Amino acid sequence: MKNSNHLSRRSFLKSSSAAGLAVGGTSWGAQAFADGHLPDPQSVLDEISINKYVREDYRALYGMSDDKPIWDSNKDWIRTVDWEAVRSELAGTTVRFAIGAADAESAAEGLVPFEKLSGIKVELVPIPDDSFYDKALAEFISGNASFDALQFFSPWLGDFAAPGFLASLDDYADKWGLPLDDFYDTYRLNYGFFNGKMYGIPFDCDIQMVHVRKGYMETLLGGAVDKVNSIPTYDELIRVSGELNKIEPGVSGVGMMAAPGFWSTYTWEHIAAQAGMMLFDENWEPIFNGDAGMKGLEIILALSKNANEGHAGAGWPENRAAWLGGQVATNISWQDSGTQAMRPDQSQIVDDFVTIYEPRIEGGRFAPPNIAGSTSCVAASAQNPEGAFLMLAFLTTASIMAMNEANANGVAPGYKSVLQNTNLQEVSQPAKVWGDSLEHAWCSPRLPGAFPIEQAIGNEINRAVVGQISAKEALDNAAAAVKQIMSSNGFYQGNDPVDYAAAAPGLYVGEGKDLPF
Amino acid sequence: MASQRRKSRSESLTLRYAILGGWALFCLMPVLWFLSIGFRPRTEIITAQPIYWPTFSLDAFWMIFEDWPMWKYLRNSVLAIIGSVLIDLVLAIPAAYSLSRYTYRGRDDIGFYILSTRMMAPAIVAIPIFFLFRNAGLLDSVWALMLIYAAINLSFVTWIIRSYMMDIPKELEDAAKTDGAGDLRILWEIIIPAILPGIITASVIAMIFAINEFLFTLLIASTPNAYTMSVALANFTGGSDGLIYNAIALVAFLAFVPVFIVVVAIQKHLSRGLTMGAVKG
Amino acid sequence: MSTTNLSATGAAQSAPVRTYRRRSKRLKKWFPYLLVAPAVIYLMMITLYPGIYAIVQSFYAVKFGPWQPIGFGNYERLWGDYQFWGALWNTFVMGSIALTLQCVIALALAFYAYRDPWVKGWRIIFLVPMLFMPSAVAFIYKLFFLDARVFADLLIRIGLIDGNIAFQSSIWMSRSILILADVWQWTPFLFIIFVAALQGQDEEVEEAARLDGASWWSIFWNISLPMMKPVIAVALILRGIDITTMFTNVFIITKGGPAFGTETISYFIYRTGFKFFDFGYASSASVIMLILTIIIAQLVVKRAFVSAKE
Repeated sequence: MKNSNHLSRRSFLKSSSAAGLAVGGTSWGAQAFADGHLPDPQSVLDEISINKYVREDYRALYGMSDDKPIWDSNKDWIRTVDWEAVRSELAGTTVRFAIGAADAESAAEGLVPFEKLSGIKVELVPIPDDSFYDKALAEFISGNASFDALQFFSPWLGDFAAPGFLASLDDYADKWGLPLDDFYDTYRLNYGFFNGKMYGIPFDCDIQMVHVRKGYMETLLGGAVDKVNSIPTYDELIRVSGELNKIEPGVSGVGMMAAPGFWSTYTWEHIAAQAGMMLFDENWEPIFNGDAGMKGLEIILALSKNANEGHAGAGWPENRAAWLGGQVATNISWQDSGTQAMRPDQSQIVDDFVTIYEPRIEGGRFAPPNIAGSTSCVAASAQNPEGAFLMLAFLTTASIMAMNEANANGVAPGYKSVLQNTNLQEVSQPAKVWGDSLEHAWCSPRLPGAFPIEQAIGNEINRAVVGQISAKEALDNAAAAVKQIMSSNGFYQGNDPVDYAAAAPGLYVGEGKDLPF
Repeated sequence: MASQRRKSRSESLTLRYAILGGWALFCLMPVLWFLSIGFRPRTEIITAQPIYWPTFSLDAFWMIFEDWPMWKYLRNSVLAIIGSVLIDLVLAIPAAYSLSRYTYRGRDDIGFYILSTRMMAPAIVAIPIFFLFRNAGLLDSVWALMLIYAAINLSFVTWIIRSYMMDIPKELEDAAKTDGAGDLRILWEIIIPAILPGIITASVIAMIFAINEFLFTLLIASTPNAYTMSVALANFTGGSDGLIYNAIALVAFLAFVPVFIVVVAIQKHLSRGLTMGAVKG
Repeated sequence: MSTTNLSATGAAQSAPVRTYRRRSKRLKKWFPYLLVAPAVIYLMMITLYPGIYAIVQSFYAVKFGPWQPIGFGNYERLWGDYQFWGALWNTFVMGSIALTLQCVIALALAFYAYRDPWVKGWRIIFLVPMLFMPSAVAFIYKLFFLDARVFADLLIRIGLIDGNIAFQSSIWMSRSILILADVWQWTPFLFIIFVAALQGQDEEVEEAARLDGASWWSIFWNISLPMMKPVIAVALILRGIDITTMFTNVFIITKGGPAFGTETISYFIYRTGFKFFDFGYASSASVIMLILTIIIAQLVVKRAFVSAKE
């Protein structure tokens, strides 16, 4: 999920219906509660399989089948939970699920197996994607939200959790054996916890990475691309992008997102994190306009000379199109750039690219950034919180997430058991590097006001990229704006809404660990 | 006669056709190119070097109707347009009659007030309208769109019709009056039929402005229940697929063709309509 | 039923008839107001009422919770907000350049077209850009100049340039794209009006001038243009008003960037209200826009339209 304009569920649910589940779905749907008799759980679980969920052309392309599982059944919650227990407690109840507008139809189909397994009926509450944030907030504030469960952009966790709009899920996770330890720490801590309590189940688990075009790189290097050493530092990336710039007509050295708003923020956070940047100190004072933040912005300005024409206006859709269309020789973007480029129906550069380990910065640290993503939560005012939890656990279960990745729909799994699965790594090119990187991930804290904070920083960075102001001015302006937003959200008044000690572990999980190479 | 003009030759014939032809090319080339975008596969739209001879593909066509609730968008557009135009006619015809046929104190001020709402930028009332409609529970409904479009278009529908009414000779009415007809009957049976071209022109222009409307629709519509084609375009982000240009192109043409046909049919009246009667075509 | 004595002239004397006439006189007096009332009331509901709502809201800080009264706080903030002034400036700059270009081009085209045997054909062709949805036109330009880099590629093939054109790194280049999109789409609006006006020109005057040996150009300059002044005024005012509300192109192509250089006042209001949820602040900007609109309406529009009225 890259864009608050659409939530990635849509892609999963769309693809699952495209895969032929629709055929089964319609017959199931009609029958689900007609006679009050629920089918044997195992038969339903058997249908949640590669043959049913993964696109036919991809299955053929990669030789995928259920003989080569891309997940670990022992860690796949839907196969370990006791559905009979679920049924005995909650069959017949209803869960209201806030869903992005266009998803409603495909969501209904994707949830039919859940309804069969649990006996819980799901009612979809369409909420517009592009105003999800304010619509959800408005409903929470009214005290009587029209939904029990929702999935949203993970940076907003602070906005929703701090005022107490979300229900805590610790007890449910314990009771129903959610495999929390299978999540990489960075996702579990940042998407799932707030002030020490669990509020969310990570859903779309994103990370930003660096991807390069094999053909061009090999010409430049005179040999194969080494994921660790071919571009070991950002200075190297600057040099390489300069060399590869205009190597062919229409090809630029590097692609990156530097549009005003959060896009620029994310690119800058990505690079500055490698310089060792932290956004705030223990008192939540912004410190990102220090040396590390400056280094990150300076690198962006240097790269921008070799970047594609539209980078100063590029958000994820533009950047993705440019990368997949072959307009850039290297790309700084999310992990799905590495998967989608493999798929012939989406990409012009199939087999001509590779995802490398995050380049380092002298004096910094290896800190691949966990940026964006989405999480699934239960409303504090939910009428059926336990049912809502179970439904969300279903949607985020390892097997379904693994198959999302196989379908290259941009919805990313955050499970160790999935990313380290060798069969999955065959169909998802970045998986190994990605999984290794997650042990060292950097992440921004989930704060109330995150939404305007990200916009404010990004607007200033864009001004610097365009040359209107200097890097120092940009970051100083951003720091001032952020302070102002934070204080209007309750910080600096003696009772910060977010406890730094609780948030700190998630901000950088690579402390003291050995590099994966 | 105009024919005399046509016969006379200009000393710079080549210049004339160069300029006119040049602009015609400038008008049409982007359109043709966009058409080619609509009929090609997605991977051929954004590439390192633009593809000028793409392979033909109907992918977008299937996508629009299968992956998106295109019928809903169409339905919403059509309903909102027809509804708003009807509202406008019901309100505007009596108002135009009043402005054109009677003299009374404040008539010019009222007329000017109506005219001035044409000048109201949508952004000025966007936020209050959003709040008002939200509080009334009208958000995301075609009714809301109907009401807004009607409001936006009412001023010039009134003024266009007024302009056509002013053309009708008073004698026509006087004859009917001496026969004992009341004012309303005159309106209904004599005036309206006589200004039918004006009504049609006003309706066509109102429909076009309604199809084009973007800002209000963006704020009010949030699900396919109320999305019109204009705003749906901006949301063709297809989940993880980014912008789907070939689908956008086809929808653009889908909306263009009927509008084009209708406008060509009324082109004689176009100038008068667009300037609300100030300039007769 | 009365003791009326209706004479041949229709004069009546008795009370019931007098009452009828009095009632009908009163009805007659209010009748035109009644006819126009529904339209006026409807418009007031959608313009006056929200306008007042915006004015009131501008004196509060409004986010998601209860409204906090802050007096002139929003206006003070607006005064010092470089983004607000930038938005006004952008609207003015892009609007006036686009309007000037459209006007000049439309006049030139009208000049050449109105005597051409194929004027109807030209008109139809020139109308085409105007009949696309503005959001569609915005996508055409976004794809052509930015995403698919067709413009840059064509220039490279001709040999004019040899590398990338970073449209979105330059404020003026981004503005040019928006201006171009507006000119492409809306020149026909002016063209149609100008052609109609020229075709309505008095032919005898034209004939006489031709017989005197005047060139078409001098006829245009000395006769047509002065005659067209009110028409040009009306057309420019209409188009000018619409240009100041430029939103769709900004939303789709540049989103106000780079560095707020293409953010128009409408987009500023949208962004503050619906991306930052600072509704009170956005309302205050709306109020300023309303005041400017009223001023312009009184000064410019009234004069032009009142004179163009019959």
